[in-house]
Amino acid sequence: MKGYNGILLEIDLTTGQINKKQIREEDIKKYIGGRGLGMKLLYDNLPGPGVDPLSPENPLLFMPGPFSGFPIPFSSRTCVVTKSPRTSSVNKRFEFGSTVSYSNMGGFVGPEIRFAGYDGILIKGKAEKPVYVFIEDDVVEIRDASRYWGMGTDDFDKYFIQDLGDRRFESCYIGPAGENLVPYASVINTAARAAGRGGVGCVMGSKKLKAIVVKGSQIPKVANHKEYLELLEKSRKAFSIDNDDRKFWREQGTTGALKYSSDQGSQAVKNYSEGTFEGIENLATESARKKIWKRDFACFSCALSCKKSGYAKGAYGTMVHDAPEYETGTMLGANLMIDSLEGMAKLIYIADDYGIDIISAGNTIGFLMECYDKKLIDKDFLDGIDLQWGSVDDSIQMLHKIGKMEGIGKLAAQGVKPLAEKIGQGSGEFAIHVKGHELAAWNVPAYEKTGISYTTSNRGACHLNGGETDGQNEIVMMDSLGACAFASNWYKDDLHYRHFLSVLTGIEWTEEEFNKAGERIFNLEKMMNFREGFDKNDDILPERFYKNKFLHGPKEGAIVDREEFDKMMNDYYEARGWDKETSKPTDEKLEELGLGYLI
Amino acid sequence: MNLTSEISRKKFLKKLAIGAGGMALLGNFGFIFPFKSPNGEIKAIIVDFDKCAGCRTCETACSAYNHKVEINGEIFYGLGNPDLSNIKVWHYNPDVDVPVTCFLCEDTPCIEACPIPPDPITGRKALYRDEIFNTIKCDLDRCIGCEKCSKACREKSGGVIFTNKDTGKPERMCTLCDGEPQCVKYCPYGALQYLSVTPDMQLRNTSPEKIAEILIEKYYHN
Repeated sequence: MKGYNGILLEIDLTTGQINKKQIREEDIKKYIGGRGLGMKLLYDNLPGPGVDPLSPENPLLFMPGPFSGFPIPFSSRTCVVTKSPRTSSVNKRFEFGSTVSYSNMGGFVGPEIRFAGYDGILIKGKAEKPVYVFIEDDVVEIRDASRYWGMGTDDFDKYFIQDLGDRRFESCYIGPAGENLVPYASVINTAARAAGRGGVGCVMGSKKLKAIVVKGSQIPKVANHKEYLELLEKSRKAFSIDNDDRKFWREQGTTGALKYSSDQGSQAVKNYSEGTFEGIENLATESARKKIWKRDFACFSCALSCKKSGYAKGAYGTMVHDAPEYETGTMLGANLMIDSLEGMAKLIYIADDYGIDIISAGNTIGFLMECYDKKLIDKDFLDGIDLQWGSVDDSIQMLHKIGKMEGIGKLAAQGVKPLAEKIGQGSGEFAIHVKGHELAAWNVPAYEKTGISYTTSNRGACHLNGGETDGQNEIVMMDSLGACAFASNWYKDDLHYRHFLSVLTGIEWTEEEFNKAGERIFNLEKMMNFREGFDKNDDILPERFYKNKFLHGPKEGAIVDREEFDKMMNDYYEARGWDKETSKPTDEKLEELGLGYLI
Repeated sequence: MNLTSEISRKKFLKKLAIGAGGMALLGNFGFIFPFKSPNGEIKAIIVDFDKCAGCRTCETACSAYNHKVEINGEIFYGLGNPDLSNIKVWHYNPDVDVPVTCFLCEDTPCIEACPIPPDPITGRKALYRDEIFNTIKCDLDRCIGCEKCSKACREKSGGVIFTNKDTGKPERMCTLCDGEPQCVKYCPYGALQYLSVTPDMQLRNTSPEKIAEILIEKYYHN
């Protein structure tokens, strides 16, 4: 099928078997690529519900999209798809019942997988000893990685490519956190770009897979070459036209949201008890530009360059590959009451070097800070760490514990839900997670729609979900096309993504079919979660948001009204065409979407 | 033979037809030109490394222009496969991105190294400087695939000359896209310009590694 290679590279690390499988054209048409096709392949390759996510039976997929590899603006993304080691349901139907997990990363890996001749990589099984997968066009090998096991991601990023001897290879890898099976370990590329959330690095570590390295020399064929070139020319012209939004996000990256969010009371501050941070100026863009940032970087085919690199000086002196961003700057900054820019940059570096989901780590450390402050736990519980609000040094110690799975780190690495269960004493109320997956830097009380994003996300709390069905479906499509949902957002009117898909494939995609594909994939994810035991009882907000009023900032007094939010949830289920009692998609809805096989 | 070499080959032969008569006359008088010096000042792709964000759009634009395809009798730009591009962006950690393409060196260590004797009429070795845009080109019929040009480029300049894995003959020399460099046109960050080379220009005629070393020192150790 044009626009695609049509091949899934299947690697079984238990048997060492390597298969180049034809992807069914029907699946491509229905699930597109990236996240969508990844979910279908996950469904096909799981034996059923209840699979242990850290067992060899859990498939791990690396899925670029049909845009990846073509110089279509912002086409750099790869979606890592697997069954989550993080989430759990209220009703424990299965011991290992968990949701789907998906995590996007930018950089250049996705395009290179496509240049090598594949539309995705499926890793099955588990290696006996640490390995890495080597791909150069049709040469695919499983190679010994013992030499690299234990290496931080920064060193690995530097030295592996030197050892390989060819700088044109792209790679993604785990750090010690993934190796140690930290549940919220991430997959990293270029030392700081992350498929951060959902425990994808943990699953990779459970397979003893250190890295995937790939280089390719081909490019998929397209159906309408002339129209493709015309669309490309048209969309590239947009790069020379600036507006306030484009300028803002290009100059500031997501960091621009740090001050903006705090100023409007929507930031996660002091374990979500507040929405505005007094010390935000020191963490925000102006401060970063002055004290840290030296260069801006872009992913493949991107005109925005949101990645900012540099160097932090002083006691917390550190290389800065990409910091602060909005999420990382908040979770290891404002949420912990840390107002030291360099301290926050150091924390981010350490987390990236271990290969840890910074959002979950920051949320967890904030939770522990509150428990410690309220004397629900003591220094002994924390292995002697004096984990006070705003303390960089103690947060650093805690990060090391987590990355190494040492002492208190073992429990902290599980996240706030198990921590709250262990600590008890009412701490469950301010364990800020949904389905066991920690919330991110956008706080809820001041803007309840954000709450919908968190409660309804299919991988557990996720800020990249949107508060409404249309927005959610659209993000699914971005994730499935291999396009960057963030950067493309500022060039929407000029990008013609739907037309790009049409000219690549030769299939005329109507707006209706395009949106339906996103809806279909979202419902597939939902059904997979439902059969694992997740239902309406899991789509709930942490109690804190109903009980704790903000005391500071422009949204002082903000709190979520339970009845109002319940109504919003019911409206959401109705808009989705789902049963309001259970949240299960109705049979009619499934049939409508071509998901009848799930009934 | 690929389409682009066919097109440039035709151009060359056309020129030769005009020039051959004149050259033949000079030949009778005993003139032999041992090499071709630059036609006036050299204009090349000049990189502002402070601006390069590493997006590799230049690679895709270069690839598309220099590897055109024929579909139903019509010629189109290619799809933009970066593997085919002449300009390459090299990525390093600490983070710097170094776009490097043929510098059109004044002293052409590549041509110097070419062992094929200069043609008595044209003065050209197998590797030669084309006088239209001062770009480095290879007569694939005379080239023996010894790879000495590639080695010389690596040792004495940017290391941009790759050799074809089957023939050993040199590829990836910047063509300046017939005078309208596509990399310059499409770089979203304005990091590339098509300018006259002047002696004060830094970070030219050297390897991406050396350039990266200097940039890393500049950005991350000050």
